[in-house]
Amino acid sequence: MAETIVQHETKVEVGTPWNVVVHNDPVNLMSYVTMVFQKVFGYSKEKAQKHMLEVHHNGRSIVWTGVRERAELYVQQLHGYLLLATLEKSD
Amino acid sequence: MLIHRLNEDSIEFTDIEPIEADLLRQIPILCDVRGDSRAELRLFSNPADSGEVQFLTDWEEYVRPELRHIFVSARATVEKDLGTMVDRPGYPSRLVILCAHGEAWLNALNQARLILAAKFEFSDEELSLHEVPRSFSRRDLVLLQINFYAAIQERIIDALEGCTDADGRE
Repeated sequence: MAETIVQHETKVEVGTPWNVVVHNDPVNLMSYVTMVFQKVFGYSKEKAQKHMLEVHHNGRSIVWTGVRERAELYVQQLHGYLLLATLEKSD
Repeated sequence: MLIHRLNEDSIEFTDIEPIEADLLRQIPILCDVRGDSRAELRLFSNPADSGEVQFLTDWEEYVRPELRHIFVSARATVEKDLGTMVDRPGYPSRLVILCAHGEAWLNALNQARLILAAKFEFSDEELSLHEVPRSFSRRDLVLLQINFYAAIQERIIDALEGCTDADGRE
């Protein structure tokens, strides 16, 4: 008896990734920014501090890259914590 | 003033001097940005460049009111907590807040600091200064107030992380 194999192919459209960028702000405390990164992204304290220091020294840090919808949500959450955050298309 | 974790659920502010109590009571008042465009601009900063027309339109319509609600709620929580501050004439005051209110306090303190910095147009350099001012102009005093609120934020973050024990020792 012949065996029929049905293959299902799902095409997932992967769009351009988007960056969530946090910009330096002399008012927000380093400890506060670290705490916010831990809360919003679930980062470890070490990873959160690495991004915070990047913001502090370089003026900005790409804190997350991925699908647009989620990036928008993260930007919104960061604004709720009063951080200067923007959405940018990833290169 | 000392700020430490009182128990699993609470943070305690003790030995609050009258001038510190006054500064604490100013937090919710300072958070009212109505009529000040510089403060509004800082609290509601742009989330993308101007090319993202649809995103910016949606942000204005849906996100901005939500952000305003977050900021107003934080302010209301702090105001309500401050209403429970125990004052006795001639003695320092005491305040106990729930750890669950910690984020609202950090948010309101941040609002107050950002609003003061925007209103008085402090430069990055001025905000990074940690020297005692040579004069005591209104501007110098506001900078001290911003730094006082920053110190409270640091202590609340420590208390939330459980860095101090119930006696306030490191």
